Amino acid sequence: MGIPIYPVHLEDPQLQGFYDGLAAGELRITADPGTGAWVWYPPEVVPGKPDTVLEWRTVSPEGSAYTFTTIVRSLLPGDHKAEVPFTVVLFESDETPGCRVPGVLVNADGVEPACGMRLRLKPVQAGDHIIAGFEPA
Amino acid sequence: MHGNTVAITGVGETPFLRKGTKTLIHMMADACLAAIADAGLTPADIDGYIGNRMVPGSDDMGYAIGMKDRAFSAVTDVAGGTAPAGQALILAQLAIEAGLCRHVLVPYGIQSTKPGGVYGFHAKEPLKAALEMPVGFFGQPTYFASMANRYAHDHGMSEEELASVAITYREWAVLNPNAQRREPMGLEEYRLSPMISTPLRVADCCLTTDGACAYVVSAVDRAADMPHPVVQVSGVGIGTNNFPHGVLFTQNPCTYEYPGVASAAKAYAMAGIGPEDLDLAQVYDGFSISALIQTEMLGLCGRGEGARFYHEGHARPGGRMPVNTSGGHLSGGYVPGINLLIEGVRQLRGGEGARQVPDARICAVSGLGGNSHSTTILTRS
Repeated sequence: MGIPIYPVHLEDPQLQGFYDGLAAGELRITADPGTGAWVWYPPEVVPGKPDTVLEWRTVSPEGSAYTFTTIVRSLLPGDHKAEVPFTVVLFESDETPGCRVPGVLVNADGVEPACGMRLRLKPVQAGDHIIAGFEPA
Repeated sequence: MHGNTVAITGVGETPFLRKGTKTLIHMMADACLAAIADAGLTPADIDGYIGNRMVPGSDDMGYAIGMKDRAFSAVTDVAGGTAPAGQALILAQLAIEAGLCRHVLVPYGIQSTKPGGVYGFHAKEPLKAALEMPVGFFGQPTYFASMANRYAHDHGMSEEELASVAITYREWAVLNPNAQRREPMGLEEYRLSPMISTPLRVADCCLTTDGACAYVVSAVDRAADMPHPVVQVSGVGIGTNNFPHGVLFTQNPCTYEYPGVASAAKAYAMAGIGPEDLDLAQVYDGFSISALIQTEMLGLCGRGEGARFYHEGHARPGGRMPVNTSGGHLSGGYVPGINLLIEGVRQLRGGEGARQVPDARICAVSGLGGNSHSTTILTRS
């Protein structure tokens, strides 16, 4: 299985917190500091509370796949490199059910991807940057 | 709103081409003029116009087709098929009932071969650019493939059952001389179709089309004096969820739960009928999996039974509930939602040759666009 190599575009600097987490080997999710509620993906404006500034919190790297797909023909635009096929999962940390983090399935040769499969965070290098990866737990 | 006060009195479309040579405005003008002529009208008779945020507006189109008086113009603020197959009909009825105009023109067109491609708008979404594109989760086939795998996990769905959706619509397209893909396709040919994102193959995805369609809406009492059998708008319902485009395909608690149950309930209530009264349906098939799920949401079968419904042949020619009788978006052509609505009108008028559903009187049409969904009930009076 390959991985996609496509630049990370952080138009919203708030999203840097996610990649800071990956660089530290951690999965970080945004929460409302006032209520403690998870707010994911971090929106430009928190619903009904536009002045709220979300904070990044480290969550459990263990969880499961809500769903997946194995990409045989990459549809990423432009001059990118993608070693197809690769499998993308929507990962839910055990600590934040319903907050789904897209990532690449890694270290899974011979493993049939499935909804509900147990996974753990495994950040991976993709060219000059780190992306979210998940490996079978 | 009450049903059966307005009718679709004219329909028109361009050829559906894999790659055309005309501009979008040119194709839309061709479709508009065809629809106006089909209604027995001239451009000067059209005094209402409903566009959409994705296509050229009435300033340009009114000039291009020779409108004289735009007494009413509006833009539908929903995406994809929901707009021309549902929301535009609500606005048209409101404007006609208010006495603002007599004949409303609704065009829609698509130039899938334009520079930037059909998925260019996804790339402009900051959350997708930051969190999804770096891991390759990008493009409609990938989003809907992930839904298909979850649906299969929740309800069960074999490869053969999923394939039967695309195969069913192709059977209808074979009978439609204007369909874009008419070569017969069985399971063997389906399996030769290239895989894009598992389990979706090219054959599971809507076509790449350059084309345009348009229709005219008029009051029912005027429609009686116009050229064709009267096809009334008996019910229209719109459903929405609260997930903007950037999060829709990942954070919706059930990613394949489109707001189709809500739209169908509203449309059936307005029409005073239920799914058991339908003679046929046109279901928005951006993808085989999304059509299968909307088939359930319209009540053509139970929830979780869509795969079996198609595999058992109920939607095929001669089946108990024909679906996508033009070949749909998978095989007929892809002008989001509107060519499905027009096929519904043509079937209710009658005379569609080999694909005509006998004694068709009531047709449901569904439209899906981002976080919105429409259901429309058409009835021949």
